[in-house]
Amino acid sequence: MTAVPSTAPAVVAVCLKWTPSPFDGGPLGPDEGDDRFAGVSPADRAALELALQLSDAIGASVTAIAAGPSAADRVLRDAVAAGATRAVRLDMAAGSDSRDVAFELAQVVADACVVLCGDYSLDRGSGAVPAFVAHHRRCAQALGLVSVDVTASASSVAGAPDGELTIHAVRRLDGGRREVLAVPTPCVLSVEGSVASLRRAPLRRALAARSAPVEVIATPPAHHHGAPAIVTPYRPRARTMPAPAGEDVLGRLRALTDAGTSGGRGETVELAPREAAARIVDTLRGWGYLD
Amino acid sequence: MDDRSLTTTDCDVVVVGAGPAGTCAAIVLARAGLDVVLLERGPFPGSKNMYGGVVYPRILDELIPSWWEEAPVQRWVTRRSTMVLTPDQALTVDFRSQRWGAPPYNGATAYRPDFDHWLAAHAEAAGAQLVCSTTVTGLLRDAGGRVVGVRTDRPDGDLRTRLVIACDGVNSFLAKEAGLYPPVDAANYTLGVKETLALPKDVIDERFGVRGREGVDIEILGGTGGVNGGGFVYTNLDTVAVGAVLKLPKLAAQRRRPEEIIAGLKSHPAIAPLVEGAEVKEYSAHLIPEAGLSMMPRLAGDGMLVAGDAAAMCLAAGIWLEGVNFAMASGMYAGRAAVEALRAGDLSTAGLAGYERRLSSTFVLRDHRKLRRAPSLVLSDRVQHVYPELITSVVERMFRVDNPAPKPGLRRIVRDETKRLGVRTRDLVRDGIDGLRSFG
Repeated sequence: MTAVPSTAPAVVAVCLKWTPSPFDGGPLGPDEGDDRFAGVSPADRAALELALQLSDAIGASVTAIAAGPSAADRVLRDAVAAGATRAVRLDMAAGSDSRDVAFELAQVVADACVVLCGDYSLDRGSGAVPAFVAHHRRCAQALGLVSVDVTASASSVAGAPDGELTIHAVRRLDGGRREVLAVPTPCVLSVEGSVASLRRAPLRRALAARSAPVEVIATPPAHHHGAPAIVTPYRPRARTMPAPAGEDVLGRLRALTDAGTSGGRGETVELAPREAAARIVDTLRGWGYLD
Repeated sequence: MDDRSLTTTDCDVVVVGAGPAGTCAAIVLARAGLDVVLLERGPFPGSKNMYGGVVYPRILDELIPSWWEEAPVQRWVTRRSTMVLTPDQALTVDFRSQRWGAPPYNGATAYRPDFDHWLAAHAEAAGAQLVCSTTVTGLLRDAGGRVVGVRTDRPDGDLRTRLVIACDGVNSFLAKEAGLYPPVDAANYTLGVKETLALPKDVIDERFGVRGREGVDIEILGGTGGVNGGGFVYTNLDTVAVGAVLKLPKLAAQRRRPEEIIAGLKSHPAIAPLVEGAEVKEYSAHLIPEAGLSMMPRLAGDGMLVAGDAAAMCLAAGIWLEGVNFAMASGMYAGRAAVEALRAGDLSTAGLAGYERRLSSTFVLRDHRKLRRAPSLVLSDRVQHVYPELITSVVERMFRVDNPAPKPGLRRIVRDETKRLGVRTRDLVRDGIDGLRSFG
């Protein structure tokens, strides 16, 4: 076990987005207390497992946080059963604005060296909360991770001159490419559901967690009073695709999917962060995404 | 499995299975102030359960007064029909009572994931600790063989207790492991299969002749493609369930797929107009302990009781097809006997005898004893394959007008038809006597 040098115990935080049941209760009408189909996404469960693995490796405690009504306590108690040491619920209505949720989350995770989130929720929301949390924390962020090397991350502490923890992770890029990252802490990470499978809670912990305390933090009225967030089914953004070139069906399919082709359409540049950000914005504008 | 001497316990009672039996046991035990853990293998109570039709929740009057004001009922059954089918004939005896559509009601259709979930909420409210997604894989015993707990599939998953109530459903592994079951005979089981078909509520109301929350339950003899068993059709608010109950050895011998038999039932001229244009929403199947008293296990062992389908409490007696009420009642009485035994400090088989005593003095075993011949009679080859045709042929000739020939008398029609179908008088008399003994 590698300890993070610090005067205060290290904390890994995991943000779990509780989503109410998508069913309206049918002809019998909605049942507000029906939690059978409410819960968190596989990505959130993967984030929790990763938080537990990381905490084991670096000797940290795990704080699980969810935003929602009291029905969300169940997912927090499940997290405690799995191994989380602290459960916190931000008392907010389901479907609150992502910016408000992120602002409140940032207050709770202020002392966390790593904040883990799932990269999508059950209701396929905006996916923007992790980035907003990182913004409020003024810390690094790495979103949409496909793997996190817990062992290498924990070992980074010993090798670092200042004893800082660095997270070693891999992020998915377009065109089947991968980006290998060394993310300095504190940081906010969001992970895909395939990153880890949540461990089964031991029976005694599952029983004990039924009465585990959940800290409830009252939140002020929403800061953002604009149009209410509208949750819709996930749809990829439409893009105009040129007709694929190719002499036969297989060739056209390959051209359409990039399957079996080496790079060529991508561009690798090495720039300082500020210039890199400007380049990305310029490129996106050039592609018409910021119009 | 574990022969260590166990002196400490984690709780007073472990109830295995949060179906109607287990949940009612847990409600009684928790209300008596006992520490109860209710283990359920599904993600929530009812998620893995299915049944063939109607809940008769009268027994709930004792546990949840005015249950009808809160239970997640689809429709109240006000029409009860019994249908006899041959490939191109149908005879229906149809009964309707508006009294069954008002409190305290009689029977109801309900979705088991709703009903069981609702019932389990009462157990939790009473103080039972419900743990889902947890499969009990075996029993813990002390050196003397007494059941002292259960082993689950969770890490650190042994739970030591003073009493285990096994409500783990048909084909109970726990009751078998405890040596309470006689050797299993596949002939004692049927396979229940069901399709849930979506139709708009107003279409269902129109086709079945009901309004509002009124519902229909049709039990069918015949129409199962030559496999011994029976069929059923019943209405939910905006779905119709069509299914069949099929005797396992016959199904295996005929090498028929159960979904083919449902397809045949749905295409019968008497059923097709009821379900035409419906969209299949769900297909489900489940074993049913069909043989009643003749297949019941011993109901108690040292440190253990068995209730519900795990104890073969399902009543399959032709015109009476009931299961959930027998499960709820057996669970409730198991809970009461457990409270009595725990307070007396005697959890031996003898100390738990109050369970069977309660079942014997109430409808649970009295009905099973009275109707003990019914399951084998109803599933016999003559009742299944000969009598439906005999009955429908007699009725067809009664109502057929053969002018200029004069109307034949009923006795002559019966004599002609029994002769045509090769029905021997002594078999008819013997089955009639069996029927009278069972249903009379």
